[in-house]
Amino acid sequence: MLVNLLFYTFAVLAVLGAVGLIFFRHPMNGAMCFVGTLICLAGLYALLSAKLIFALQLIVYAGAIMSLIVFIIMFLNIQPEDLPKEETKLFYIIGGVVLVSPVALFLGKIINTLPNLRVDFVGGDFGGVKPVGLILFKDWLVPFEIVSILLLISLVGAVVLAGKKGMSK
Amino acid sequence: MIHNYLFLSIILFCLGIVGVVSRRNFFAVFMSIELMLNAGNLAFIAFSRIHVSMDGHVLAMMVMAVAAAEAALALAVVILLHKHKGKLDTNVFSLLKG
Repeated sequence: MLVNLLFYTFAVLAVLGAVGLIFFRHPMNGAMCFVGTLICLAGLYALLSAKLIFALQLIVYAGAIMSLIVFIIMFLNIQPEDLPKEETKLFYIIGGVVLVSPVALFLGKIINTLPNLRVDFVGGDFGGVKPVGLILFKDWLVPFEIVSILLLISLVGAVVLAGKKGMSK
Repeated sequence: MIHNYLFLSIILFCLGIVGVVSRRNFFAVFMSIELMLNAGNLAFIAFSRIHVSMDGHVLAMMVMAVAAAEAALALAVVILLHKHKGKLDTNVFSLLKG
């Protein structure tokens, strides 16, 4: 019962945050709504007994990535008159909903064919640091190394792009 | 019960697509892309709960790493473009049109 209540609370708040992200004009308001969505998603991961992902969602997504985005938004010091005029926004939103809703209904049909099992908490070590780490370093070692190379490349790229002043001219 | 999580994932993904299509502000488009990645993560976690196996958790961690790399690069690029043009409009950023 409590699990159902928590699920519906988190789900409604997550959808409201996403709608706010689409509708707010200033990116700062949208970023705050999106942080709310991310925290609600972390709660949903906890309900699905994914303990490590719950912590990582809070630390990496809501903590690191969103603070980076908010930092850049504040760094650029955006005034309301600098924002692009979006007179056609509502029109495009309605068009996008019309375009996307058949795909969503189709996916919903597909999901209805799956077995609908109850979400109970999985006991033991499911989703803890140790079993996930064992799977990560046994079965997923090559993708892990590729992701490390990707992070290295993005680090070098960010440094090259941000420190361009002396190099290009 | 588990269907509700997957329905929520679909709803969030579609909202992300609508955001990418309808907005012209760079940051709104970027955060809509992040929203789509998060919807994918939710589907991964829900399916790994269905099968009680932890491969979905590992994939969600990979998606988070890709999102972090993307955020670092995209924000560096947008700072450069904002220095050049002084605007945040994605229509102004069409520099590669040829």
